[in-house]
Amino acid sequence: MSLLSRLRQDLLALPLVGRFLRWRYSRFLLQLPLLLVAFLALYDGFFGRQLAPKNFATVSVWLHYRGFLVLAVAVLGNLFCAACPLMLVRGPTRWAKRYLPQFQWPRPLRNKYFVIALTLFYLFAYEYWDLWASPWLTAWLILGYFGAAFLVDAFFPEGTFCKYVCPLGNFNFTLSTTSPTQITAKDPSVCLSCEGKYCVNGRVETPAGPKTAREASPKEGTYYPGCETRLYVPQIQSNMDCTLCFNCLRACPYDNVALKPRFWGAEWIRARYRLDWVWLGVLLFFAGFMNAFAMVPAYYQLAERLSALLGITSEGLLLILIYALWTGLGFSLVLLLSGLASRLSGFKEPAMKAVRRWGVAFFPLAFAMWAGHYAFHFLTGWASIVPVTQQALIHLGLPLPEPDWTLAALVPENLLYPLQVVILYLGLTGATVTLFSRARGGRPLGAAFFFLMLFLLVALALWVLAQPMEMRGTLLLPKT
Amino acid sequence: MRRALWLLLLGLVACAPKTGQPLDAKVRVIPNPPPVGKAEICIDVDPRSEFKEIKVVGDMTHPGMIPVIAEAHPAGPGLWRVDAFDFNMRGDWVLTITAVDKKGKKYQKEVRLTVP
Repeated sequence: MSLLSRLRQDLLALPLVGRFLRWRYSRFLLQLPLLLVAFLALYDGFFGRQLAPKNFATVSVWLHYRGFLVLAVAVLGNLFCAACPLMLVRGPTRWAKRYLPQFQWPRPLRNKYFVIALTLFYLFAYEYWDLWASPWLTAWLILGYFGAAFLVDAFFPEGTFCKYVCPLGNFNFTLSTTSPTQITAKDPSVCLSCEGKYCVNGRVETPAGPKTAREASPKEGTYYPGCETRLYVPQIQSNMDCTLCFNCLRACPYDNVALKPRFWGAEWIRARYRLDWVWLGVLLFFAGFMNAFAMVPAYYQLAERLSALLGITSEGLLLILIYALWTGLGFSLVLLLSGLASRLSGFKEPAMKAVRRWGVAFFPLAFAMWAGHYAFHFLTGWASIVPVTQQALIHLGLPLPEPDWTLAALVPENLLYPLQVVILYLGLTGATVTLFSRARGGRPLGAAFFFLMLFLLVALALWVLAQPMEMRGTLLLPKT
Repeated sequence: MRRALWLLLLGLVACAPKTGQPLDAKVRVIPNPPPVGKAEICIDVDPRSEFKEIKVVGDMTHPGMIPVIAEAHPAGPGLWRVDAFDFNMRGDWVLTITAVDKKGKKYQKEVRLTVP
């Protein structure tokens, strides 16, 4: 079989790549650069100049991390969870677990609703405290993430933080449903006869052969942990919850795990999505919209009018109101229109099943909305990472030349909007294909009806992105 | 090994260069608040001070935006002026005024304002 045909089945057939990822310390090596970035961001965020465009913490987190994230998701997969330095707290938590009581994550929270609540709080905090404009708060955010990962990991089973708590990881999971790759079993029949289900349970390679982590102590041989988010490889239909850590690849004694290329977003058509996943996708679209809208003058005018109408002068209250109204409107719209779309298609199903059917179409749009927004910031300021890194290192005492602050734009500004339009149209195309695939077995009228709503939302998003930007930290201007 | 790493870190922090001295100046933007577009910036310093150059750098508070850089020119005793500073976007701006004296010593002042 030629290399190309092998690659069509498994990208790990690439020379060196598969070998590297099968190596026990490959994830650590991937995490190391991001850990160093986190350290430098903490240092500059706490001790550097408190001006966002001139500080490594704000530039690396709000510009480059987010820009590279959507790029990696679109080109390959959830690489940022794969290289997440937060999981390096695992060493200290394993030690701490010896002395701390252990709990199971509460059953009512084993879904995405807790993450949805955390994401909403995070989005509120982002706007209310202008996290993007404060190196100090950004540094605290990084530290807070490390602290939260440590605490959750110390008291609960490994993987709990990634699957049920981390808003960033779940953002990555949702967006990575777009990715052109997915972990899969090379031959599912091998998994049927696999006695240990090592990809989930972990493997201890003993002199007597492979044993699961339950059957043998890790000290009895070489230990390869299994999937921390408890995904069983032959049953994986979606990238949701996959951190791309390749634990499954290393734990499988039969070399039966592949990273298979697929068409972008292929799972939107085929996979069965849980209701909580769908609501997370819906939230991320509406939140992405609001995140972009909060940077144009119309948003501030709306806030001023609401403030005058309701007599609210508290910025926090106004923000809560705007977010509650917008996400509430979004959720209600999806609930109402999903039911109507199912009726039009001739499906007699409960309202929540209708949301599961049609709401999946928000996943491509959520990706497009965030990708369009992040692409703008990333492309307008990508090279600014050079002077801010230089300055942070100079501040650390390294003898480097003076930073050149004029470094910034990668693409001419007049190309940015057309690029955003293309990204959103691609998202709408993905949503359309998803809708009509999910209408199979019924009349296509329901899909066409739902498409109409998405079309209007995309038109609204394009209008927002076409507005001149306004980067203001305060919602209401002081009265003069 | 761990001790050596701590010493290295301490050494690096100790070597950190000092930032510029504070600049004693009054900064006026005309008109105030400035609209999107060109505005005049006047910098009043002590007439006895001997600055050889004063530079104004405007940054928006969001990371990644290209800074606006302008040289001020002397316009009278103790007065330096930028005739047409380009506030090219609405929002929060941070002006960093850096003055360099004849000995090459730097003085800095930061002014925050909003372009409505």
